Amino acid sequence: MSEDIIKLRNLKKIYRMGDEKIAAVNNVTLNFERGTVTCLLGKSGSGKSTLLNLISGLEKPTKGEIIIKGLHVERMDETQLAKFRQQYIGFVFQSYNLLGNLTALENVTLPLIFKRVGIKERKERAMEMLKAVGLEKRASHKPSQLSGGQQQRVSIARAFVNNPEIVFADEPTGNLDTKTTYQMMDLMMGLSGKNKQTLIIVTHDMEISDYAQRIVHLSDGRIERIEYNSESIKHSNELGKARREEVK
Amino acid sequence: MSSFDLINMALRNLWKRKLRTFLTVLGVIIGTASIVVMISVGIGMNVGYRQQIEEMGSLYVINVNAPYSSDSNSKEKVQIDTASLEKFRKIEGVEAVTPVLQEYFTLIDGRYVYDTSIMGILPETMEAMGLDVSTGRTLQEGDSMAVVLSAYAKTGFYNPKLSWQYRWNGSQSIEIDPYNDKFQITYDNNYGTKQMDKSIKPKKIQVVGEMKENGQNSYYTVMPIADVEKIVAEREKYQKSKGQTTNTNKKKGVYNSAMVKADDIDSVERIQQELKDMGFETYSLVDYLKQTQETSKMLQMVLGAIGAISLIVAAIGIANTMVMSIYERTREIGVMKVIGATVSDIRRLFLTEAAFIGFMGGLTGVAISYGVSKIINVVGVNMGRQTLSAIPIWLGILGIIFATFVGVAAGFFPAVRATKLSALAAIKTE
Repeated sequence: MSEDIIKLRNLKKIYRMGDEKIAAVNNVTLNFERGTVTCLLGKSGSGKSTLLNLISGLEKPTKGEIIIKGLHVERMDETQLAKFRQQYIGFVFQSYNLLGNLTALENVTLPLIFKRVGIKERKERAMEMLKAVGLEKRASHKPSQLSGGQQQRVSIARAFVNNPEIVFADEPTGNLDTKTTYQMMDLMMGLSGKNKQTLIIVTHDMEISDYAQRIVHLSDGRIERIEYNSESIKHSNELGKARREEVK
Repeated sequence: MSSFDLINMALRNLWKRKLRTFLTVLGVIIGTASIVVMISVGIGMNVGYRQQIEEMGSLYVINVNAPYSSDSNSKEKVQIDTASLEKFRKIEGVEAVTPVLQEYFTLIDGRYVYDTSIMGILPETMEAMGLDVSTGRTLQEGDSMAVVLSAYAKTGFYNPKLSWQYRWNGSQSIEIDPYNDKFQITYDNNYGTKQMDKSIKPKKIQVVGEMKENGQNSYYTVMPIADVEKIVAEREKYQKSKGQTTNTNKKKGVYNSAMVKADDIDSVERIQQELKDMGFETYSLVDYLKQTQETSKMLQMVLGAIGAISLIVAAIGIANTMVMSIYERTREIGVMKVIGATVSDIRRLFLTEAAFIGFMGGLTGVAISYGVSKIINVVGVNMGRQTLSAIPIWLGILGIIFATFVGVAAGFFPAVRATKLSALAAIKTE
């Protein structure tokens, strides 16, 4: 039995829309095992993104507990959250969110800058990371000079550069074509698998969910059902390969 | 985030929006320059006043007079004598003291004479007392029967044989050679006229220098006090022999006035106060200087306030630029927060950017101020003023610091606003 790195207890998030109260996340209790890949699957408005934001401390829950590595995230203040994210969390966004006036290398360096890592070390680590995503030759390019797939690679490099224990990906392939989608997923699987990182992916794309060991179906802020994928692509890559062939 | 990274990132952000940064900085440049130039004019006037006053004599010298009162009831008579001079010397910060004896003698150069006010002082103190010469030298220790001629002596000699109305006829100029002619001095102010008393023998004297013009003491002919006393004693003897009442009823060793030199301009006021406390009357150029300083201080404040208005406008410009920048960079701020920037990182980043705008504006503004100040002074010299504008180093440095501070202050509200942005909302902004 592996330990649970993330524990959610009766998590609730209620938004007020005028007089109406909408429960975006309603009484969710869920554990995440260290080193696993979980997919939060649901339609738009199912509360999957809100759940991700709660876990990562971007939003405060209305009720309930979020315990990551034994720490109560919901009780942290802004500064503690920032330090917490520096330490344990990496982010991949749907719209890449790279800083436009920084080069690819500098974008990857950014989390290390906030963490006050020395210039030499952070350059080496960022360059290594860019190599891992196959963009070492584009290190000095600005995001505007890169394609969508390349930008997402930079974004992935940025998420993993700090070697975080948990990586969140919010619709990481939403803006990409099918072929690039598989490349990105393979890349993330490869990187997270190497260091036994816990990966949480939010998506509405059923095909992406095939990569996960566990699929949590969400609907109206509640867990509808949980599916376990014994033949997850991460372990047997055949399905993925077959798909890639298909696309080609 | 380390300071180095902070500055690096702030500069890059400013550089990315070059035109806007430049325009904002321009506002600060104009604001800083107008404030610095305005104050410099105030200071320049002060310096100008001071130069004028310093030409009148040394600012370090205090003139001391015995009080004019016949208050014989007072137990101890306040008078300038050997004992009180010794007391003056013992006041802290006093560098030199001399008694002063003023007389009115006649100088003789061959056929010509010159009636002059005489100032008798200790010869070794002449230089210290700021009694400057235009040619020759000041009196020195050991000088005897030597004089420094009044600055107006050259044009003041006349032929006493002529009647009054012809003496200073402009067409008749008398050339004297102060260093080669043989001069004599006498207390007989009728020398050379029909009324002169031939029994009064003039004494030979030697001219060693000429007083500088435009000073408050330049019309005096300066002599060692011992020589003056000698001549005065002779005059008294003469007057007694004639059965006249002597007009100097003073005792030997008692003087009407004295001069005290302070070692530092800041001590002048204190020494003056101590002398006043002893019961003496004092006067120094510092009294006058203080009056003019009060005036120019007022002027400086008014001018500075006018300049400050443009800096306030510039500050609003900075605030506007920073707020605009936050709207544009909402997403960037959100991303930075999500990937680990702390609230203080974000605040410091924006404050640093604002500070740089202020700093660059201040630096350039001060540099331009020095140029403008030069131009003003060139124009001023043509107008006959020596100094119209002066920027001391402290004003330059203060200008830069102040502009930077204005930048930080103007950037504070936008910076706090930036930290309050929700990271989530920021990321969602497309």
